[in-house]
Amino acid sequence: MISREEVLQLAELARLKLDDKEVEGLQKDISGILEYVGQISAVAPQGATSPQAGEDAPLSAASFGSRNVMREDVPRAEGDGMSGKEEALRTAFPKKENNYNVVRKIIQKDE
Amino acid sequence: MSSLNELSITEAGKKLAAGEITAVLLADACLAEIEKRNPSLNAYLEVFTDVREQAQTADARRAAGESHPLLGIPLAVKDNILIEGRRAGAASKILENYVASYDATVIKKLKDAGAVFIGRTNMDEFAHGSSTENSAYGPTKNPHDESRVPGGSSGGSAAAVAAGMALGALGTDTGGSVREPASFCGVVGLKPTYGAVSRSGLIAMGSSLDQAGPLARTVEDAELIFNTIRGKDPLDSTSIENKGPTSREYPARGSKGRTLKIGIPRKLLEKGLDADVLQQFEKSLDTLRAKGYEVIDIELPQASLALAVYYVIMPAEVSANLARFDGVRYGLSLKGESLIDDYAKTRGDGFGAEVRRRIMLGTYVLSSGYYDAYYGKATAARAELAREVAGVLQNVCLIATPTTTTPAATLGEKTDDPLAMYLMDIFTVTANLTGNPAISVPMGTVTREGKELPVGIQFTAAHGDESALFVAGKLLQ
Repeated sequence: MISREEVLQLAELARLKLDDKEVEGLQKDISGILEYVGQISAVAPQGATSPQAGEDAPLSAASFGSRNVMREDVPRAEGDGMSGKEEALRTAFPKKENNYNVVRKIIQKDE
Repeated sequence: MSSLNELSITEAGKKLAAGEITAVLLADACLAEIEKRNPSLNAYLEVFTDVREQAQTADARRAAGESHPLLGIPLAVKDNILIEGRRAGAASKILENYVASYDATVIKKLKDAGAVFIGRTNMDEFAHGSSTENSAYGPTKNPHDESRVPGGSSGGSAAAVAAGMALGALGTDTGGSVREPASFCGVVGLKPTYGAVSRSGLIAMGSSLDQAGPLARTVEDAELIFNTIRGKDPLDSTSIENKGPTSREYPARGSKGRTLKIGIPRKLLEKGLDADVLQQFEKSLDTLRAKGYEVIDIELPQASLALAVYYVIMPAEVSANLARFDGVRYGLSLKGESLIDDYAKTRGDGFGAEVRRRIMLGTYVLSSGYYDAYYGKATAARAELAREVAGVLQNVCLIATPTTTTPAATLGEKTDDPLAMYLMDIFTVTANLTGNPAISVPMGTVTREGKELPVGIQFTAAHGDESALFVAGKLLQ
C-alpha cells in the first residue's frame, strides 16, 4: 500500500487539500487501482513509437503517428476567437476592482 | 407514436416541413414531459427559460424559407458543452455560477441548423464516472427503473432522450460516456472517430480521448446529428477533414459481391458477462446474419489490457487538464493562508471525491520515478492496441460486443468501490484509446426484479467509417 507521506506529497503536487480520512481512503484506493493497472507492466509491447505509415494509416493523431498541425501566424480578425468577449471574461473574475482581476501578491519583499 | 415529444427527429422533421406541427408545439410537448418527470429523474440541471422563444425563432426561420432537418428540433445538451451566455458547470461545484463566454463549435453548428436547446443535462462531475452518481447535484435516475442508474457520464442526456424530455441530445464520450448510458437507457449513442467532431468548447477531460457525440432514439437521428456537428475546425487542431459518407472502402465491402464480415472477440466475452445479455447479443448477431453479414471470431489479445491502459492515460490527462481550475480567473475561489493554500483549498472543496481521486492517480502515474512504469508503458500498449484493431478491421468491417456486461446497476451499488465502477467501461474504452468510431444500439431487454431493462450492442468500425456503424445499426431497429 502506498504510504501516507506519498499521498500527502501527491496532494501537494496536485494542489489539493485533503482531510485525514480521505488520505487514508486514497492510500487504499490508489493502491487497489495501481494493482489493477499494473498488469500493463507485464507486457513489453514493441515498436510502440514507430507510427504505422502508408495509405492505410488512419488520419487521426490519437494513437498512431502524430503530426504537428500549424496555422498561419496572422492576427485573428475582429470578432474571431475571444475578441469582443472581454466583458464576459471580466464578469467571471472571482474578485475585481476597476475592471482588473484582483489576485494575491505572489512576490513578497524579503524581511 | 402517441405524442409529439415521443417522435423521432426524422419523423418530427417531416411533420415540421409539411407544416403539420410547429417547433413551439414540439418544445411545449417536451417541456410538459419535463414538468412531469424531471423532478424524480433529475436529468436536467437547468431547463432554459427561453425555450419557447427559441422555438418561435425556428418557426420564423422556416417561414422565411429555411429547411434544415434539425430546424426547430428540441435537443438537450450535456453540462460540459459551452453555450454562450448560459451556465456551464460539468456538474461541479468548482464551476458554480460559471457562465460560458463562447459557443462550442458543435453548438455553433446546431444553432446554424436551427436546433432548439431545452436545457443542460446532469452528468458525472467532469465526466468522471459511469453512473451519473458523481454529480455535485445528485444522481440522475434511469427512466426504465428509477431505482437504477442511467449510466454515465452522459446519464442526464440519455435519460432525457429515453423519457421523451428531448428528441435528441449531445453527450461526450471519453471512455464510453455516450455509449454506456445509451445502452442502459435504451437509446442510440455514437462516439465518432477521434477528430471527426471539434472539441472546441467542451470542458476537457482526456484530450486524446474526448469526442462529443449524439444520443437519439433511432440510428437515423444519431446520423443526422453527427452529420450536422462534424467537420474540421480551425479551433481544434486535432479535428480532421471529414465530409463524405465514408472515407474508406474495404476489401470486404458488399458492393463488390463479397460478404460483409463482423468480428467477435470471443475471448473478451468469456468472463463477467450476464447470461441473458449474451443471449440478446447472440440474437442480434442472428438478425445480422439473416441480413447477409458473415459473423466470424477474431482475436484481440491486447484488448484485455485496454481498461488498465485507459485508467493510466485518462487520469494522467485529467490531472493535466484540471490544473486550470485554480480559482484565479473564474469559478469557485476560496482564500487560504497563502497562494498555494488558496489553490489547494479551492480545489479540495470545489472538486468532488472521484475527481480528486483521479487527479491524484494521474499525478502519481506522471510523477518522476513512475512515469516510465505507468504512463510510458500505457502509451506503448495503446499504440499496439490501435495497430491490432486497425489490422482486424482490414478483414472485417465491424467489431461487435455487448456495450456493457450487465444492465444498469441499482443506485449506490458501486459507489463505494471505484474499481468496480471502472469495470463498467470494459468494452467501451478501446474505441477511445484507438480513436475508432463506435456506436451503441438497443438490442432488447433483460429482466431484473420484474423490470425490463434495456441493453445495447456495440459496433466499432475503422477510422472515418461511421457509415458502417449506421448501416448495421439500422438493421437492428
